[in-house]
Amino acid sequence: MARILYIEDEMEIGSWVAEDLTSRGYEVTWRQSGENLEHYLKDIDIAVLDVMLPGLDGFSLGKRIKREVDNLPILMLSARTAVEDKIEGLSFADDYLTKPFHPEELAARIEVLLRRFQKNEDILEIGHLKIDPKTMLIINQNTDEEILLTGKQFYLFQYFIRHLNQILTKEQLYEGVWGEKYMDGDKTLMVHIRYLREKLEENPAKPVIIETIRGIGYRVKI
Amino acid sequence: MMRLFRSLLAKYMMIIILAIFLMQLVYLILAVFVFSLSKGIDETYSSDEADYEAIEKQWHEEGKQLQGATVQEVQQLFEEWKDKYADASMFWVNQDGDLVTQLDVTEELPAEWTPEYTARFIKERYDGDPFTVIAFVGNDESNGFIVFEIPREVFKTPLEMTYDKFGAVLLIGSIIIIFLFIFLSFLFFKGIRKRLLHLQEAMEIRDVDGLPVQIEVNKQDEIGRLQQAFNQMVDELRESKLREQEEEQLRKELIANLSHDLRTPLTKINAQIYELEKADMPASTANSLTVMERSIADIDKLIENLMSYTLLMASKYKLDLEERDVIRSVRESLATWYPAFEKEGFTVEVEIGTFKHNNWLVDPIWFNRILDNLLQNVLRHANSGKYLAVKTESTAQYDAFIMQDKGNGMKGITEKKGAGIGLSIVDMMVKGMEMDWEIHSNDHGTMIKIIKWK
Repeated sequence: MARILYIEDEMEIGSWVAEDLTSRGYEVTWRQSGENLEHYLKDIDIAVLDVMLPGLDGFSLGKRIKREVDNLPILMLSARTAVEDKIEGLSFADDYLTKPFHPEELAARIEVLLRRFQKNEDILEIGHLKIDPKTMLIINQNTDEEILLTGKQFYLFQYFIRHLNQILTKEQLYEGVWGEKYMDGDKTLMVHIRYLREKLEENPAKPVIIETIRGIGYRVKI
Repeated sequence: MMRLFRSLLAKYMMIIILAIFLMQLVYLILAVFVFSLSKGIDETYSSDEADYEAIEKQWHEEGKQLQGATVQEVQQLFEEWKDKYADASMFWVNQDGDLVTQLDVTEELPAEWTPEYTARFIKERYDGDPFTVIAFVGNDESNGFIVFEIPREVFKTPLEMTYDKFGAVLLIGSIIIIFLFIFLSFLFFKGIRKRLLHLQEAMEIRDVDGLPVQIEVNKQDEIGRLQQAFNQMVDELRESKLREQEEEQLRKELIANLSHDLRTPLTKINAQIYELEKADMPASTANSLTVMERSIADIDKLIENLMSYTLLMASKYKLDLEERDVIRSVRESLATWYPAFEKEGFTVEVEIGTFKHNNWLVDPIWFNRILDNLLQNVLRHANSGKYLAVKTESTAQYDAFIMQDKGNGMKGITEKKGAGIGLSIVDMMVKGMEMDWEIHSNDHGTMIKIIKWK
């Protein structure tokens, strides 16, 4: 199970969040300040940092962590909501959640980050598919057969898996997968989604794995 | 005193004085020059002799005394005059009109003088050259007349003669001096103009922070002092800007801390509610907790809006305009909001086409904030309708986004536009980005249009 380093100086909030995350199955290390941080960095999958901390503040801590461990996702959890704070936070952190928050929301965001950084090795079950996010092995549970995806289809589906439950617009998908600027009216993405659906969906005419959110984009949801 | 000498006024006064002085000097030089030249010319007649009136008077008197004179007597008179005026010529016409005698007359004179010729002669000579005096012989007009002629030229003074010769030089000299003066004035004002234009250009230069920059002061005259005053103003501007920035920073810091301090207890309350919810409880208690939770979310949003509003009112909320694909921004904003609407069971209809120009000049943070506030309002206040539509509209006059719900409408909000603090922020931000917006609300729903005029 994923290991979380949580730094929060407020006793009540800290104990509550640590408890809640533990009850969700995470291994939580809760510290009230950033002292001796380096001891924990090797053994964690994600860091959740408060901004207002005694001593070194959350922004400085986060930047230091990013410098030392590049592929460690960082989520800032702060009661500071000013745009400047968010902008500064997101200049290095991977997500920024403001207090007061709902524990469901925090857990969901942690999940998204873990998946994006491939720290989550849980086998996913989406509809009739069983997916190993690490190897991107896709098994059709109806037939027990592996579904093989070619080039761009593979990357496209992987992009969906790394952004589970998120609605992705055409632009975001195209730019994320092809790495080029999306030109209005380009049909490439639509064609690839159709191919992908033909391979993945039980009924490509009524897709359930890759949902169409009309007018906005697409989503793969657990 | 030094100041006065350095001034442009003093300089120009110098030019004028110099010009006048030069003019006088030239006249003086010319006078001396002419005078020395005239010294070399001999005077033929003294100023007494050259008196026209005296000659006329004397000629008339001597004519009177010739009553019944003989030709010899007349000739003798002529000789006497001739001694005095060598350049003169004289003649006598008697009562019959006969030319009796003449002395040194160069022009052709008729032997017989008819009244017509006499009249013409008088008319020609009147005030003419040679100077002519006609006097009757004797006391009455019956004895004919004697005529004295002398070229006017011989009576001229040497000064007049030199003036005749060198007058053109004097005129040209004066004209040259005048032109020199005009030219110097021109150079003087051209210099001033050039410096003023340079000054204007330098004043228009802006630093990266949008403030003017200091100007190099190279002279201590009026323009130099203007430059100094400008530099002083630049310094003061910079100082005040710095002060303003410090104040802004303080205010932002204060607001950020305040918002942090308000949110921390809210988070704690939230935590307690969450813990309570885990326990078994009657439905009414559970409902109370849900209401509490929603209230906390409301307070949270209110704090956020209050802070933004305070900053906006004080114009401390920075506006950073840039070209943005707004269609994309709206779609991405909807993508993040969609799950919240989905959870509440909303029907979401999105019909976002493209505009002719998708790139609007907006502040991305402000634009998203507008969308967030409006969508939040739909979610919170139009929940009963369970419907949200987001569309684009394009006409010849404007491009617009339309947000429509089927809630109970914002009672009174159209009359008191911007009553809600969230909507006030939308209003300020929309106007700040030079866009427009409209609210149409009734009991069956609300439609909000964000308009960009073409």
